[in-house]
Amino acid sequence: MKTISLKVNGIAKEITIEDNELLLNVLREKLGITSVKAACWRGECGLCTVLLDGIPVKSCMTLAVEADGKEVITAEGLYFDEKAKKLMESFVKHGAMQCGFCTPAFVVTSHYVLTKNPEIDGEELKKELNGVICRCGTYYQIYEAVKDAEKYYKKETKS
Amino acid sequence: MSFTTPYFTLPKFTYLKPKKLEDALSLLRQYRGKAKIMAGGIMLINLMKERKISPEYVIDIKGIEELKKISKTENGIKIGSAVTAIELQSYQIIRDNLPALAKAASYMGDRTLQHTVTIGGNISVGMPSTDGLPALMSMDSLLTIKSLDGERTIPASELVIGFGRTSLKDDEMITEIVVPYSRGFKGTYLKLINASEVAIATVAVSVLLKEKKLTVVIGAIAPRPYYFDHKSLQWNWEASLSENIKNASEIIGSSVKPMSDAVAGSEYRKEVSKVLAARALKEVFGGA
Ligand SMILES: Cc1cc2nc3c(=O)[nH]c(=O)nc-3n(C[C@H](O)[C@H](O)[C@H](O)COP(=O)(O)OP(=O)(O)OC[C@H]3O[C@@H](n4cnc5c(N)ncnc54)[C@H](O)[C@@H]3O)c2cc1C
Ligand code: FES
Ligand code: FES
Repeated sequence: MKTISLKVNGIAKEITIEDNELLLNVLREKLGITSVKAACWRGECGLCTVLLDGIPVKSCMTLAVEADGKEVITAEGLYFDEKAKKLMESFVKHGAMQCGFCTPAFVVTSHYVLTKNPEIDGEELKKELNGVICRCGTYYQIYEAVKDAEKYYKKETKS
Repeated sequence: MSFTTPYFTLPKFTYLKPKKLEDALSLLRQYRGKAKIMAGGIMLINLMKERKISPEYVIDIKGIEELKKISKTENGIKIGSAVTAIELQSYQIIRDNLPALAKAASYMGDRTLQHTVTIGGNISVGMPSTDGLPALMSMDSLLTIKSLDGERTIPASELVIGFGRTSLKDDEMITEIVVPYSRGFKGTYLKLINASEVAIATVAVSVLLKEKKLTVVIGAIAPRPYYFDHKSLQWNWEASLSENIKNASEIIGSSVKPMSDAVAGSEYRKEVSKVLAARALKEVFGGA
């Protein structure tokens, strides 16, 4: 048992964990953050993606102890980010989901991508998002939604 | 692939995160045989989930700054073993000087995983599907290996000795990769992937035209990539490019013994190896 300190969606937390616990399990079971999904548990589907110090990682492939001293951001936290909220609205506007199981992972990953480069070209965007699988096949709408949200991430635009 | 294995938990272990290289080496010695190095952890965590390995200690090397550096010296380009696949694609030194390595890095798992996967971890996996080793071998790269006893250097081609097995001792670690050239050479990296994104074959080629040196490495068809050079390919610098390429791909075809698996059969992999090698050679020599 050990206690780690981390920030989760802006809130400082201290939690007691075992060294062998996955970040995924800790987020879902100990912190009740259920936008973080899981399907494969082996690094393939990307549904468990979260931002760790701003970088997308698959939480089923990350130890909870690796998050000690770091900040974790999930779709819940992004709801309070002006730009990311617009991005989420864009997903709704474009119908970029069917069952919605992959949506949090796509939102988190595309928030990272747009923050880094709000003028990304279409092919680059597809590559950047290739770590998440949408079993319903709504990729086209997802790319449209992300492209449409670029304007909120450009510096000159007031979000 | 198994659908019955529980991937939900990991076996018990103690997690250690040294900040200094010497501390990591001491820990490896102290817990010799009971510890595993974790770089990106992408392979390590999956093997632990499958209960294929259950180390008592996991030594995370991501906190060691000196393993994350890239530099250009007179002797070539030095890459710390904990440099990530994303960094290999974004650092200008690598993009400008070692484009084949940057391209190989773009195949190291999907884009999200590439933030985590490290070059040292990738080449130590010993699986046919990893992309770092063929690329580094084609550039005659050297690996700096350290333990508490000191340092040794081996060619990248001597790292993997079998499926999932490397020639490292259990208290040793790769600290740095040295690509011995930084000028006057060309390279490329080609890969044929099936619909499920699993590699059927990969080919890494590098050419040092100034010094008349050519290497061709075929990966993904066996755990240990196949290495050829201008001598084993009977390359004739006086002959025409098309003649040389035809000859070289025949030699490659008759030398490799690809594995057969669910992705592709041995004969098919052999044909793909010949075709990809020919394409790669054409590319680096500027068309035929
Ligand atoms: C779904 C999926 C698809 C993938 N597809 C590809 C692909 O197509 N091509 C590809 O190249 N890769 C691919 N990968 C990644 C690849 O399989 C490995 O998982 C990854 O490269 C390992 O890198 P790592 O840094 O995470 O290594 P780790 O998992 O940390 O380590 C791997 C092994 O090397 C040892 N090790 C680590 N660092 C060192 C060191 N410095 N010195 C000595 N030993 C060390 C560890 O103890 C461990 O045994 C894929 C991964 C996944 C999950
Ligand atoms: S659950 Fe599929 S990548 Fe993590
Ligand atoms: S909307 Fe169902 S998985 Fe993407």
